[in-house]
Amino acid sequence: MKRFVQVTLLVLSGLGLLHVSLFTDDYLRYVKEGMRPLLVASGAVLLALGVAEAWSLRSGAGDDAHGGHGSGAGADPHGGHGSGAGADAHGGHGSGAGAGLGTGASGEGGEADAGRAVGEGHHGHDHSRLPRVSWLLLLPALSLIFYAPPALGAYTAAREAPKAVDAQEHFDPLPATSPLPITLTDFTHRVQQDKGLAIRSRTVRMTGFVTPGAGSTWELTRIILSCCAADAQSVKVRIYGVPAPRANTWVSVTGTWHPGGTLGTASAPVAIDVRTLKKVRRPVNGYQDALPIGTS
Amino acid sequence: MLLLGAALLPGVLIVVIGRWSDAPAMQAWRTVCLAITVQAMPFLLLGTALSGAINAFVPERVFSRLLPRRPVLAVPVAGVAGVVLPGCECASVPVANSLIGRGVTPAAAFAFLLSAPAINPVVLTATAIAFPGRPVMVLARLLASLATAAIMGWLWLWLGKEKWLRPAVRHTGHREGAGRWREFRQGFQHDFLHAGGFLVVGAMAAATFNVAVPRSVLDTFSGSPWLSVLFLASLAVLLAVCSEADAFVAASLAGFSPTARLAFMVVGPMVDLKLIALQAGTFGRAFAARFSTATLVVAVLCSAAIGGVLL
Repeated sequence: MKRFVQVTLLVLSGLGLLHVSLFTDDYLRYVKEGMRPLLVASGAVLLALGVAEAWSLRSGAGDDAHGGHGSGAGADPHGGHGSGAGADAHGGHGSGAGAGLGTGASGEGGEADAGRAVGEGHHGHDHSRLPRVSWLLLLPALSLIFYAPPALGAYTAAREAPKAVDAQEHFDPLPATSPLPITLTDFTHRVQQDKGLAIRSRTVRMTGFVTPGAGSTWELTRIILSCCAADAQSVKVRIYGVPAPRANTWVSVTGTWHPGGTLGTASAPVAIDVRTLKKVRRPVNGYQDALPIGTS
Repeated sequence: MLLLGAALLPGVLIVVIGRWSDAPAMQAWRTVCLAITVQAMPFLLLGTALSGAINAFVPERVFSRLLPRRPVLAVPVAGVAGVVLPGCECASVPVANSLIGRGVTPAAAFAFLLSAPAINPVVLTATAIAFPGRPVMVLARLLASLATAAIMGWLWLWLGKEKWLRPAVRHTGHREGAGRWREFRQGFQHDFLHAGGFLVVGAMAAATFNVAVPRSVLDTFSGSPWLSVLFLASLAVLLAVCSEADAFVAASLAGFSPTARLAFMVVGPMVDLKLIALQAGTFGRAFAARFSTATLVVAVLCSAAIGGVLL
């Protein structure tokens, strides 16, 4: 692989990471917020590597073939390619990666050939031989810069069983505010596990996005990550009383628990009868089960 | 090439089909694929930087002094040494490769490769958080992972053949007359570009399964104890969840037995699609196919045995 390509790959990968982590908040569509410093550092390191490579490429194009520390052709076996035809011989090797020897090198005459033969014999320190699979790094890099896909939404949530909420033993008394802002996870806890039945006849307010369900019902949804979007899990609350807005719309709803089963046990449906519904902006970090902000 | 095909073909199919029917699937695929890549990138950089540094700065005699001379003893020591690499599995492949280049016996390097992502403090802490009130799960994970790593190292001593490894080991160490920093930079850069490409292949394959297999079908397998262990083990291979997160995923698979979930956490950091791609790129396909298959079998047996006793 030509060194120019390596520079391009490094710089683009670095810029891609910096673009989503430093200049925008796009990284929150893929990973958790704690990753930000790591991503910024990684982007900076990649960019620095690319710049360093470009620098050595520019300053030493003639006598400093990649990996070639030697000056006399063939004299330094590790140098790989001799100095005179070094740059060109290198190019030949690069293009031959995966398919065997490059053809360009042989055209350079005896000097380059000698260097190549020795280099091959030693399986030397030839860092220019990269497999073509490295080109694939272009895809995420360009995608991050120009065409970052959106956060996971209704499509993923609809296909996943809801996250199993952990068992909670102790429940504090609910605050007296009405409507009561509550997270979807907390609501699930209260409905299915709180033996004190504190949630009964309380008006609650929750925010999430719309996942269309079967028939006329739909589900208020949050997707939660443990690490990255590959392990996304969803919490859902079934909504009664209002027609479903468009999928993936972020809404804030107020309402009361939709009766059924026995409240405080697993038989109680995690559902509410909605009184008001308001469209809201998508929060910057959508992958967490946060309390709704502001008043309705 | 096969792996590349396996990764690309379903992706391409989804692209083509997605255009007409299911555009959100394509978006979800791209999001998951990018998420795996972005998440793994810092750890891959850490691993390749470490491997470049080992190659350029650490003299060979350091390892021969640290590790017992007899390979049979070096294997468990290297396995336990995995505690010191705080990262997920992407970091360990290049490091293991550079260890082999510095004269560490391959069996010990493989024990390190397998144990490092599973037993480091970050992962064990995450496991403890994911299973509150069940510290025995952390212990079981630690023991089962160490056992698998050691057994695989010994297996390599017994049955392994050098010729399965890619012949050209690139890491030749520091040489006279070359700048160490320059060697470090070039080794780092080469390893990153190389492994990065394979990481993308693995991420594509994992994203394909992640999107194509909805997790709700899983519950059909949770009934039988043996089937559920095998099923969660293969799920760990296909989903390729980062080892720092797999405990949370395992905790969420509430319908399955603790032993099956243990198998998920033991197999995941050792064998998964992106790791197989990384290993194939680093050590060669002949190695990756044999090694991953054997590791999968050993890991399932170890977690079944240890899970049976402890959980």
